[in-house]
Amino acid sequence: MRPDIEGFLKAERTRQAEALEQTTLQLSLDRRQFLKVSGLAAGGLFVGVSLPNTSIADTKATVFNPNAFIHLQENGDVLIYCGRCEMGQGISTALPSVVADEMEADWSFVRVEQAEGDQDKFGSQATGGSASIRTMYEPMRKAGASAKDMLIAAAAKVWNTSSDNCYAKQHFVYHKGNDNKLSYGELAPIAASMEVPEAPTLKAATDFNYVGKALPRHDVGMVISGKRTYGVDVKVPGMQYAAIVHCPVMGGTLRSLDKTEALKVPGVTAVVEIAPLKVPFGSLGGVAVVADNSWTAQQGVSKLKIEWDRGEHGSYDTDAYMGELIKNVEKPAEKIAERGDVENAFKNAAKTVSATYTEGHLVHAPMEPNASVVAVHDNHCEVWASTQSPDDIQSVLSGFLGMDKKQIKVNVMICGGAFGRKFKCDYVQEAAAISKAVGTPIQLTWTREEDTKTGYYHSNSAQHIKASLDENNNVTGWLHRIAFPSINTLFDPSVQFAPANAVSEIESHPFGVTNLRSESGLAPAHTRIGWYRAVYAIFWGLGFGVFADELAETAGVDTVTMLNRLYDANKNPEQAELVARSKAVLALAAEKSGFGKALPEGEGLGIAVHYSFQTYVAMAVHVRMKGDDFEVVRVDNAVDCGQVLNKDGAAAQQEGAVAMGISLSKYCEVTFKDGAVVNGNFDDYPVMRITDMPEVRTHFIESDAAPTGLGEPGMAPFAPALVNAIYQASGKRYRSLPIQPLRT
Amino acid sequence: MSENPSINTPTKKITINDREYDIDVPENMPLLWFLRDRLELTGTKFGCGKALCGACTVHVDGEATRSCVIPVGALAGRSITTIEGLSDSDEHPLQKAWLEVGVPQCGYCQAGQIMNAASLLKRNTSPSEQEIETAMQGNICRCGTYQRIKKAISVAADELAKEVS
Repeated sequence: MRPDIEGFLKAERTRQAEALEQTTLQLSLDRRQFLKVSGLAAGGLFVGVSLPNTSIADTKATVFNPNAFIHLQENGDVLIYCGRCEMGQGISTALPSVVADEMEADWSFVRVEQAEGDQDKFGSQATGGSASIRTMYEPMRKAGASAKDMLIAAAAKVWNTSSDNCYAKQHFVYHKGNDNKLSYGELAPIAASMEVPEAPTLKAATDFNYVGKALPRHDVGMVISGKRTYGVDVKVPGMQYAAIVHCPVMGGTLRSLDKTEALKVPGVTAVVEIAPLKVPFGSLGGVAVVADNSWTAQQGVSKLKIEWDRGEHGSYDTDAYMGELIKNVEKPAEKIAERGDVENAFKNAAKTVSATYTEGHLVHAPMEPNASVVAVHDNHCEVWASTQSPDDIQSVLSGFLGMDKKQIKVNVMICGGAFGRKFKCDYVQEAAAISKAVGTPIQLTWTREEDTKTGYYHSNSAQHIKASLDENNNVTGWLHRIAFPSINTLFDPSVQFAPANAVSEIESHPFGVTNLRSESGLAPAHTRIGWYRAVYAIFWGLGFGVFADELAETAGVDTVTMLNRLYDANKNPEQAELVARSKAVLALAAEKSGFGKALPEGEGLGIAVHYSFQTYVAMAVHVRMKGDDFEVVRVDNAVDCGQVLNKDGAAAQQEGAVAMGISLSKYCEVTFKDGAVVNGNFDDYPVMRITDMPEVRTHFIESDAAPTGLGEPGMAPFAPALVNAIYQASGKRYRSLPIQPLRT
Repeated sequence: MSENPSINTPTKKITINDREYDIDVPENMPLLWFLRDRLELTGTKFGCGKALCGACTVHVDGEATRSCVIPVGALAGRSITTIEGLSDSDEHPLQKAWLEVGVPQCGYCQAGQIMNAASLLKRNTSPSEQEIETAMQGNICRCGTYQRIKKAISVAADELAKEVS
């Protein structure tokens, strides 16, 4: 999710690198030395990536606490902490189920709890980039396996035998030689004094109880009864409620404020000016009203009389800007990478094809608007927030409040949807500013309008691709120019062109083209740009996926044939796996969707493949035209995410990607006029509803490769497959998304 | 909360999940905020504030209603059911079906979805797919659980049919 910010978070990276070094040092020590070092470093960092090895068993008699993630009580109950943030992607079931599986815990005794923000204890908790499963699978396995080994050792001690004579199964340790068994609860206090194993025994895949199955989410029961507590639901004693209106333009300032009428609203207790905080994820600046309930606070905001100075971005107009982006990619731009000789390829071409694709800004629009509760005290601060990154909250509040990060306790609440938005904690910092000003805990809930108008928007983009084909319709040259305001601009406003690391997708794409050049066009940012589910893969997927379809047409072959031709032309041995796995998902999606079969008039089947976040997804989208409108009938998607941890949860992510894909392909576009967002609510920022939902069928490649995430990868191939399907069904090629933009 | 009711007017009452409450807030406060901030019944969610998304759906005398736009004062004497009061121990056929099908992702919209679906099943015990879509189109789910919502409503309808026969 954040491939391009290294340059801007150097200090943070250095700190993390030092921490990792320290961890690695400790990992190389034996346990006795480790305990000594840990003792010395008490309160400091002694838990890093390989968590099980770097923690100390809790010696309290009643609880077996072999590492930060597991608490086994004498009654057999197991509390497993989820370090990563839950936002609906199911991570708080997936990761704990891995722990429980390796631990041989009976899932019915497991309770999952969301860990508070503490990355020294739980490792990185920043949840994005579809990285949680990819990075935490092995550590979670080891955490569970360590506990199991220690429980076995405890039983062996009781029976005065060796661990080799014992085995664990579903909350019991059994003696191999007789009928003896001991429950995990009974063993808990003894296990607490066992050595933490250096290299815990991991299961064979065939022995998994939960991994690879369709274990239900641990929290569905709470959801269906309305008891799941989101950031917006938190109540703490003495809390007041706040609402806010923001400066409508990035970099604008408050010129005048008349709060008289707002203060007259019964129940309003204060009006607080929020200064812009010029750090990444700081507030854009605004005015908040505090009251004894959220609605009254909103009424107060509506009574504020405010004049803003719109500042340097006060003339941002997305229609005009898109015109510039298109111009900037239809002429030479800044060269990023080149191999072979594109000019020569074009000169010797039998045919050339070119196309320009555009997409507008998107806003995340999770169902839960930004919300948190913050209580600022003299020497500490407590936060309850729907968040994807508690550590960023600690960093930003630490700077803002002048406190140490350790003085900021972050209770991580489930996000009512996030999609990248709740990685950025401006709303939490604002709640802190209000709490600091009025001296009580504050719940700040943004209205839907503020959520839409004060976003970190997905980059709008234009890309121009030109390719040459020889007389055998092999692709010989590929020029790919793109212009989009990059996320780098959030950290360095002077950035005018998407930099090389944000554009590297072009040269690393698995299509095998000998002569290739990538270029980045001028695209300064006039609003805050941020990660949105799948990030840049959204437009890479569109560009590569639709252009492949256009090449197929030029070559007079079907899209699957053209895609295979492009993959087969890749002779780079370093990309052999990339090519093979891409082709495999393509083949599976083609097979399951019946690609190539004749369809009735007015129907089409489009296909696209995209590799992103280390996961491979191919989608085959079947559409039926309804006049100028269309209906998505069915989506067959093939997924290679290595070992699937939870088949039901994985399929759910794909269904969600299709739904969000339909939203962004068909409806969604954030428009700016005079520097400010025009859209406000679901009436003028329509998102997909149930009437548009197709049948989604998810097909997994059976694999024992290392697991990778699915929060984002399903997004990229949907839009191009849809565009290709509509073309087949109607002859109409939509190169500009959304297909049905709302123009007021 | 803030405005004292006039001495001569008796405090208006509202029934929520079979319990009677005084309407002790400004009468134009939408029911949603009376539920969430006054009674701390937070299962009913705020999504849009304009009856566009359905996250705030409750029942008013059994009918699905968007609580974010209806003033609490207009509901004096009426009976409200929220997700917390839909069933005694979460055994409404829809709740069971939601569990069985594994509908929720983030879950934020699901109380509204279930309340709306419950209202649908009250007036139509065996809705077609088309009827489900029509009835549920006011409820947005950004996670995209629609396929499972449709399935769960059908599962619950089948369950209800069994109970009746």
